[in-house]
Amino acid sequence: MGSSVSHAAASPPSIPPPPPHAVGLAGVLPPKSEEKSEKKVDWLNLPCPVPFEEIQREALMSLKPELFEGLRFDFTKGLNQKFSLSHSVFMGSMEVPSQSSDTIKVPTAHYEFGANFLDPKLMLVGRVLTDGRLNARVKCDLSDNLTLKINAQLTNEPHYSQGMFNFDYKGKDYRSQFQIGNNAFYGANYIQSVSPHLSLGSEVFWLGHQRKSGVGFAARYDTDKMVATGQVASTGIVALSYVQKVSEKVSLASDFMYNLMTRDVTSSFGYDYILRQCRLRGKIDSAGCVAAYLEERLNMGVNFILSAEINHPKKDYKFGFGMTVGE
Amino acid sequence: MASRVSSKGKGKAGRGAEDGPTARFVKEWSTWTMKKAKVIAHYGFIPLIIVIGMNSEPKPHLSQLLSPV
Repeated sequence: MGSSVSHAAASPPSIPPPPPHAVGLAGVLPPKSEEKSEKKVDWLNLPCPVPFEEIQREALMSLKPELFEGLRFDFTKGLNQKFSLSHSVFMGSMEVPSQSSDTIKVPTAHYEFGANFLDPKLMLVGRVLTDGRLNARVKCDLSDNLTLKINAQLTNEPHYSQGMFNFDYKGKDYRSQFQIGNNAFYGANYIQSVSPHLSLGSEVFWLGHQRKSGVGFAARYDTDKMVATGQVASTGIVALSYVQKVSEKVSLASDFMYNLMTRDVTSSFGYDYILRQCRLRGKIDSAGCVAAYLEERLNMGVNFILSAEINHPKKDYKFGFGMTVGE
Repeated sequence: MASRVSSKGKGKAGRGAEDGPTARFVKEWSTWTMKKAKVIAHYGFIPLIIVIGMNSEPKPHLSQLLSPV
């Protein structure tokens, strides 16, 4: 060590002492063995994967914005760091699912009152509409690793209400979830990190009333620049997605879904620009549908929203505008 | 938890009758509980959030709840 100490006294303190026989540039740069040890994978310390239902989160955020038709106004008023009330008005057409290929639009207008309580350990979100429908979401941390989530839509009409209880357990490099829903629905899923970038998961579900069950498998590969996911289910659906983060502000996404039973193929490409004053998302579909969604920040807490969806084969044109005040 | 999720339809009543009076009593009682729980959740969830929120720190004032500003 003696010879390298005298070398270290001569060189600036930030550079590690060069090996005794190094010459020129090799003496100044840090030794290459350090780089190799940083890239070595620690197989016992893999990161925790994303939850199973969020495996396609980046693709869904870019390709499926909440398109609407008509006027939308949302006002969120915070009373407290944790507690806020929201008032929301919607006037426009909502699509009713129909068996034939025609789209049936029903003009609706409603006012929705909501209350949110957000705590690190407990989250309560409730929304009630003028026709008496209640949307409730509860997320409660029962312990460090165990979380209970409840999702419910309650209506005044009998037999139309839905509810789902989820128990999530988060391990060191895996997550598991158990679901119980109304109509005797039971489901479970499990996802495990297999390498620093790859995680694999699977799910099973059982519908009591119709005596149907299903199994699915999913894989997700993500790096800083891209995310690729694939999902296969025994219901005959194959879904693939790929998101590339081209830069800080731009990401491009694509999505492919194939239904083996009905031999239906859907594919879409989209972009997502996150700029300083606005967020613009657009997509084009293999079914001939072009959509765009713009959120423009006019002022602190005031957002202006434009939504457009043009379906050329069905000749269905939906344009909407709105404003969001508050966080 | 499984017993709380009982069928909402009346289709299973035929099969349940064969299990004996105890099973039928449990099924009817659990259906009655689910119906009451649903009504309580429907009317009480939003007031529950408001009560929890108004009691969290720092306590907001009642006028802040009602005024639009």
